[in-house]
Amino acid sequence: MHTMFARRMKPTALQARRVYVKVMFQVMGRALQAISEVDETVQTEARNLPEGLLFEMMVMPDGPRLIVEHTGDGQLHYHGASAPRPVDLSIQFKHIAHAFLVLSFQEKTAVAFANDRMLVNGDISLAVRMTRILNRLEAFILPRLIATRAVKEYPRSLHLPEKVLSAARIYLKVANQFFETVKAS
Amino acid sequence: MSNSYYEFFCPVKVIAGKAALEHIPYELTGLAARRPMIITDKGVRKAGLLEPVITACEESGLEIVAIYDDVPPDSSTTVVRDITAIYRSEKCDSIIAVGGGSSIDTAKAVNILVSEGGDDISKYVGAGVLKRPLKPFFVVPTTAGTGSEVTSVAVIADTGKSVKLPFTSSFLLPNAAIIDPRMTVTLPPHITAATAMDAMTHATEAFTCMAKNPLSDAYATAAIRKISQSLLTVMDNPDDTEGRLELAQASTMAGIAFSNSMVGLVHALGHATGALCHLPHGLCMSLYLPYVLEYNLESIREPLSDLLLYLDGADAYAVTPANRRAEASITAIRRLRDALYKTCELPRTLKETGKVREDQLDAIASLALDDGSIIFNPKEVSLDDARAVLRRAWA
Repeated sequence: MHTMFARRMKPTALQARRVYVKVMFQVMGRALQAISEVDETVQTEARNLPEGLLFEMMVMPDGPRLIVEHTGDGQLHYHGASAPRPVDLSIQFKHIAHAFLVLSFQEKTAVAFANDRMLVNGDISLAVRMTRILNRLEAFILPRLIATRAVKEYPRSLHLPEKVLSAARIYLKVANQFFETVKAS
Repeated sequence: MSNSYYEFFCPVKVIAGKAALEHIPYELTGLAARRPMIITDKGVRKAGLLEPVITACEESGLEIVAIYDDVPPDSSTTVVRDITAIYRSEKCDSIIAVGGGSSIDTAKAVNILVSEGGDDISKYVGAGVLKRPLKPFFVVPTTAGTGSEVTSVAVIADTGKSVKLPFTSSFLLPNAAIIDPRMTVTLPPHITAATAMDAMTHATEAFTCMAKNPLSDAYATAAIRKISQSLLTVMDNPDDTEGRLELAQASTMAGIAFSNSMVGLVHALGHATGALCHLPHGLCMSLYLPYVLEYNLESIREPLSDLLLYLDGADAYAVTPANRRAEASITAIRRLRDALYKTCELPRTLKETGKVREDQLDAIASLALDDGSIIFNPKEVSLDDARAVLRRAWA
């Protein structure tokens, strides 16, 4: 069934899906770092994560991944796709198709959990905290119409001026980091 | 509410009803097991609940090789290691857990070690670590509430490190759950009430939370009907074996429902309250259920309306206007709680428990927010929301 299904989808479409997931992981990783520098709610949430915690989001069996570390005091650091040591907490999509559903905002993160699209390896309570940070991130960086599709409930306290300002700052930081990465390579 | 994708799994053979225990020897030998070990607790032994199990086996020439009857209410890695040593020295080949959640969880963990080897259970912590079936394992529940006989999870405390270790694998599920009314007929009234409300909460949350699905819905609604119809009858007539069997089956059905669709905020608050104030799990469930349903109301109006049929019967459902049914469901649950308070003083508010201080509410709220169940609650919960629910549940 799977191979037949795959054959019916054009290889280029499958390739594009994989690239999309990979790029979205990069954007999210950078945005997570940026949001932890500007948003107090995320900082408060992240402060309760153990210092040095390595968080991974990946696609099984060995697909795209993003690694983020809590470097202390609510600050998150994006490590790209490779971890400096074994990760402490991993959210694993069972298939690239499921990662695509979530990262293209067709399926909310909580719904994806409910639908068994992904597994948590590590402390569940830390995964709950990371999910809240990811929800906050999506609410911030996405236009409201798309964000309401991505999260269970759009934050009531997120007013437009604050959002626009913060989103602008996050985008700027993400852009800067991209620029620095390009310069370095 | 319903999702377009779901998974449902329950490979446990359910053996239920009159003389169910007497099926154990046949079922065990069918799995080539000849030397079973019983894992249980002192309370079960004192209540005389082991005798019918042992007699049932001996009459068929099946000897119970070892009995461990010292499982504490919160099982630990040390207990698991001790039982494993006995299992090995007595050359047992299968496990029968007789008891409530703690004995069942302990037996699941022991089964990991005796099947996979080693003495360190923490090596198997987490999801998906086990890759093959374990030793033959039967569960005889003695409380009608936890549903642990049909869940693929075990939680064991590592007392040295003060952490709770979760184990998740479908291989932890027993081969069979034996539901015999003789095992719950001696349950004291307040435990009967609390455990039945635990099952009621499992079913209600399974039916109203995010991972609900058609198969778990069927189990959930049937469980709610059985509890609504039988709980108060059993409270009045504790020897009513038919009613006892109904509650025991409802508990297993609710267990099948929630293990396939997960639970929500009632459990998140209950787990946190249990950890901080050491209140029994079933009591917490009964306490928080109506307050959480009120909080979730607008997100669950449709499924909660449907539940009125199972909570209050066809007549009440028919005469209640469609737009009032959700509220009527909550009223039915409150009515049941009031009746239980009357018969056995099962607390309805945190104040009534006498074991929670008002200044602990913030700590409960914070802890509940990190509980895994909160992901599946149909409505997003902030710290302030959790605090507000707790304040309403206070008095």
